[in-house]
Amino acid sequence: MITVCVASGKGGAGKTSLSAAIAERLGPSCVFADCDVDAANGAIALGAKGTRSEPYFAGPGFEIDPAACTSCGACRAACRFGAIERANGSFRVVPELCERCGACLSRCPAEAIRTYEKQAGELLVSDSRLGMRIVHAELEPGEDTSGKLVAQVRGRAAELAGEDAVIVVDAPPGIGCPVIASITGCDLVVVVVEASASGVRDAARLVELVGSMRRRAMAIVNKSGLNQAMDDAARAMLKEAGIPVAGEIPFDPALRSVEESNRTWASLDGEAATRIRSALCAVDGAIGAFKEKR
Amino acid sequence: MSDAGTTVIAVASGKGGTGKTTVAAHLAIRGAREMPTVLVDLDVEAPDASGYFKGVRRSGDASEVSVLVPRLVEARCTGCGLCAKACRFGAILSIGGVVTIDPKVCKGCGSCVNACPAAALEEIPMTVGQTSSFDADGLAMLEGRMAIGDIRSTAVIEAAKKRAAESRAALQVRDCPPGVSCPATHAIEGADYVVLVAEPTEFSIHDLGAAARLARGRGIRAGVVINKDGFGDADVAGFCEREGIPVIGRIAFERERAASGAAAELWSDDAAISGEMDAILARALAAAGARTVGGRR
Repeated sequence: MITVCVASGKGGAGKTSLSAAIAERLGPSCVFADCDVDAANGAIALGAKGTRSEPYFAGPGFEIDPAACTSCGACRAACRFGAIERANGSFRVVPELCERCGACLSRCPAEAIRTYEKQAGELLVSDSRLGMRIVHAELEPGEDTSGKLVAQVRGRAAELAGEDAVIVVDAPPGIGCPVIASITGCDLVVVVVEASASGVRDAARLVELVGSMRRRAMAIVNKSGLNQAMDDAARAMLKEAGIPVAGEIPFDPALRSVEESNRTWASLDGEAATRIRSALCAVDGAIGAFKEKR
Repeated sequence: MSDAGTTVIAVASGKGGTGKTTVAAHLAIRGAREMPTVLVDLDVEAPDASGYFKGVRRSGDASEVSVLVPRLVEARCTGCGLCAKACRFGAILSIGGVVTIDPKVCKGCGSCVNACPAAALEEIPMTVGQTSSFDADGLAMLEGRMAIGDIRSTAVIEAAKKRAAESRAALQVRDCPPGVSCPATHAIEGADYVVLVAEPTEFSIHDLGAAARLARGRGIRAGVVINKDGFGDADVAGFCEREGIPVIGRIAFERERAASGAAAELWSDDAAISGEMDAILARALAAAGARTVGGRR
């Protein structure tokens, strides 16, 4: 099993479009793991169907029983995350801010705090228009355990993938907890660099993270040709970091519409399509090299 | 209003790359013409707002953000293992009476210290990021920046929010992170109004729905700005109508705007943009219950 993670640092750089195209090129035997669990679009890109859902539990939450609460305020003093607020003379845990550490529970002298299990989202497995299976998820807005859900998505994808299969991981933006969970243990990270000032800066932070995690990386520069200086900046950053460039894809509004016309970037015609195919080919080559080594 | 005299507008989106930072920067610039304003970059994993200001310079020292993590005082440890039991993040292992702490996954809740009967844990600060203040071509700006490799973005977001509150500006414009999990939640918490930036794609509409639910769940009113209007065919306005979220502005897609946006150039000379930003800000302030709308205090 080979795992390829598509990440970018900046949002909107083209991660989902590219990972869907990589998956289409790999064919029905690959498994697509959409790890952008709080903004999941892989299912739209690949035409998910026949979706099976199971509940996702994030671990215990905490709540205060107003009948038992003596309003002493010990919970509020114990909470370092500002997640306990006053409510009608008593106190209340704000679930969206709660880190689930349990500090409040252990300090309450009245034993007025109890735990509860609440569904925090859904883990989903779908078939797709293109034949490969998609593992995805929908995190409830405001839930705090995206890294844990990412680990579950990846775990399920690994169960579904055959021994020789490739898993394509579509990572969330940023460089935080769910991104680290998406990259951990991957064989190859495809860094999508948007050819813009912020795209290059954010990708540079991601590249540093990938380096510290000792993952192999290659890059695709996306939305090039809008501004020569930004194209150059993207290339210079990648050269400095020693990351090979699989290809450059020009900015083209027509590319966006394929997301909505039941096609991925892998099955296009025209100038951008040629460039996309050559980038996908380079990614394929890298995956092939991993397969040979095994 | 959150605090006396301060209105907080959070710019969020769900999907990344829809134009949050662009909209937040322009709203802050327009707001600063009317009232003391601070632009607060809370996208601490990918902070980019300062890059929009060519003459940006630091206007004070960077301030380290740290969380308190436990350190073992081995001489006092009895190996009872209660600290490991108290930790719900798996940051402490106790095997055969030997305690090992991984401070990188510690959230700094203090439960272990509280649980230790032998006072064998002391707390030391661990740096997880920093906050910085900038003079952004005359606009006051604050930025949170998480250290690379860290996972405690919310600590950095909260530190930046605290510093923003201390600035006592009449208007705070927050540039929020994408998504709808903990970083986005902390970034919109305490805001008076959420401006949701969407683009006309199916991806954006899907994520906009989640972001709108997040704002609603926290009891914060929200309105949608349709950015890159005309770039795609997806019907954001229709979605907003069905969901009962007002559309408070539109920014038309133009290739030149995409090109200057790529270079992080502001559209300050674009009268159409300035007018639209003024209108968005006025609607946001009115909905936020600000004392004055687009007028002088």
